[in-house]
Amino acid sequence: MISHNDSMHILIADDDEDDRTFFSEAMMELKMNNKLTLFNDGKDLMDYLANPDIIMPHILFLDLNMPYMSGFECLKGIRADVRFKDVSIAIYSTSSSEKDIEETFVEGANIYIKKPNDFTKLKKVIKEVVNINWQFHSSGLNKETFFFSI
Amino acid sequence: MKLKKLYKNTQIFKIALGIAIVVVGYIASVFYTQMRGLDSSVDLITNSTETQLELEKILSTISMYESNLRGYIITKDESYIKNRFLRRGEIDQNILKIKELVASNPNRVKDIERLNKLIDHRFDLFRETLLLSKSKYFDSVIFNKKLQESNSFTESMKTFVYKTINAEGDKIKVHNVNHQFELEDSIISAFLLVILTLLILLLSFNKTNVDVVELKKANDEMKFLNLSFTNAEKIAGFGHWKINIETGLYTFSDNFYRLLGEEPNAFEPKLENLNKYIHRDDLENVIQSHKDSLISYEPTSLTFRFVLTNGEIKYIKSVGSFTQNSKGEMIKTGVNHDITEQYVKTLKLEESNTELKSINEELESFNNIVSHDLQEPLHKIQMFISRIGDNDKETISEQGKTYLSKIGISANKMQALLIDLVNYSRTIKGDKVFEEVNLNDIVNVVIDDLSSSIDDKKAVIEVGSLPTIKGISFQIDQLFVNLITNSLKYSKDTIAPQINIYIEDIGIDEFYNDKLILDSDYHKIVIRDNGIGFKQEYADKIFMLFQRLETSPKYSGTGLGLAICKKIVDNHHGYITVQSEPNIGTTFYVFMPKEI
Repeated sequence: MISHNDSMHILIADDDEDDRTFFSEAMMELKMNNKLTLFNDGKDLMDYLANPDIIMPHILFLDLNMPYMSGFECLKGIRADVRFKDVSIAIYSTSSSEKDIEETFVEGANIYIKKPNDFTKLKKVIKEVVNINWQFHSSGLNKETFFFSI
Repeated sequence: MKLKKLYKNTQIFKIALGIAIVVVGYIASVFYTQMRGLDSSVDLITNSTETQLELEKILSTISMYESNLRGYIITKDESYIKNRFLRRGEIDQNILKIKELVASNPNRVKDIERLNKLIDHRFDLFRETLLLSKSKYFDSVIFNKKLQESNSFTESMKTFVYKTINAEGDKIKVHNVNHQFELEDSIISAFLLVILTLLILLLSFNKTNVDVVELKKANDEMKFLNLSFTNAEKIAGFGHWKINIETGLYTFSDNFYRLLGEEPNAFEPKLENLNKYIHRDDLENVIQSHKDSLISYEPTSLTFRFVLTNGEIKYIKSVGSFTQNSKGEMIKTGVNHDITEQYVKTLKLEESNTELKSINEELESFNNIVSHDLQEPLHKIQMFISRIGDNDKETISEQGKTYLSKIGISANKMQALLIDLVNYSRTIKGDKVFEEVNLNDIVNVVIDDLSSSIDDKKAVIEVGSLPTIKGISFQIDQLFVNLITNSLKYSKDTIAPQINIYIEDIGIDEFYNDKLILDSDYHKIVIRDNGIGFKQEYADKIFMLFQRLETSPKYSGTGLGLAICKKIVDNHHGYITVQSEPNIGTTFYVFMPKEI
């Protein structure tokens, strides 16, 4: 298991450059001792994950609306591969439509985050999500706790 | 009543008539045999009388001969014995006649034979007496003896004849008595026959009369029905037809011709004559299906086009089925229905349906644009505002800070509007699944979701026991979110908001737009607050799209929240009303149907 003191490997796939910047800036400001890897779209992410020599990521933040390969397709692909069974997947999207929430839940995402409109809130979200006791969160997972509310 | 019913039953009447005819026949035959009996009685009597007469004639002839002989003996005058003396011919004729008359009676025949012999002997005696009287050796002793013998023989012959005559007389007497009885019987029979015949005739006449009246009534009704049917056909655009499969003859109704744009009976009702009216593309199928059915006796249902002589096209639905007529012949009857109007309407409906679908799809994509594509740049704007606010707090002028905060407020407002627009469009969309919705569960979740604003306002929400209704879960959720948010938003600064949610019985005179609302049909859900309220005259306005009563920036709003509520309640076939008083508070009443 990963203890909070260990360095965590966090991935984020988002086609929006600004959102990637916000995310990395927030991580920096939080001064967390974690490794962050950024991907410009779903295809980038999947190509990276296909490499067997990578350091196994702990948390993956996944935007849904991306060109080439949507976040939803990535989610399906990752959940179909037993290598990534311990990777926690956080959906990270502007949309909060019922349909998106339901479908990603069914396909095995661990948490659904609506992108905050405030930088302070963003930092709060990242901090909380990274510090979640994933084992506990996943065992009691249901549709009510799936949607992350700040 | 029962008798009347029996009387009305023609079947029973037929049976009665049959029995009556048998009885009359029987009585008539009895009468006939009686008449025949009478006839033979009369014959018998005539026969006996004639026999008697002939016998008397014989006796008188013999007596005449006797007296003639006596005259001769006394006077010796030859003239007594000259003429007609001892001529057997006359008597033989009598005997012959008697023999004929009594031929049926063997005893009597024997009697007559004996009489014949007696007569022979008497004639012998006559001749002997005559000879003795003429003899030259007249011996009076012998002569007297002969005369005496003759006399006694005549007597015994007379006795014999009278015995026979009497026997005939007795027979006549018996016959007479029988005749009397038979005559009486016959009279009774004849009388009965006449009475019975009269009775049957009367009943039959009456029954026929009644039947004729009923038949006429039925006929009139039939005529009226026929007329109504013809009219109905005209009005409804029906035409009917039939074919007798045995004879192959078709019948077309008047309106059948009219549907073809022709006058009734414009042409002979034949299948071939229809060919030119049926659309070229439909012709083969129609004729084939019809002909096949005439073999299989399967009902047909065909839709095809008639092309009228003026070029007009009519859509026809023709259904046909088989029955047997009273002669047991197979008949196919059918109805042609002009469905042109319907067909055109259906086409139009299909068109509008397709249009509606594409509009719906457009709405869907609009929805996506609003919910995602528009929110993304907005999200970016908000993020950058917060970045500037955080990082460059010190370097921005006071005015710049004010502007920045105004931009932030506007961006938030825009976001709220986008969310409401999405919500509103979701309430108009088609996919509405009605399910059991427990209102208490919904309200609890909503309160939980709104907990931060509730805590901010220090609001107290009391929820009573609410029913379970049939509804669209996410819409009911939205309804309570909007109503509670509304109450929180328009609360007074001075006191903590108090919101009560409960159900109430519906009074006996509650109306919604002149429609009486009954407690048996609806749940009445009350949402009451102690907020700023408004003047009751604006009650209708608040449910309209983009209508806002409060314009002060303190009360932010999109003007969509209550319009969404109204739409949701409409979707559930319910009603929403409001009662408000400035500074006292506002109460919303939601009426939801108990059964859908």
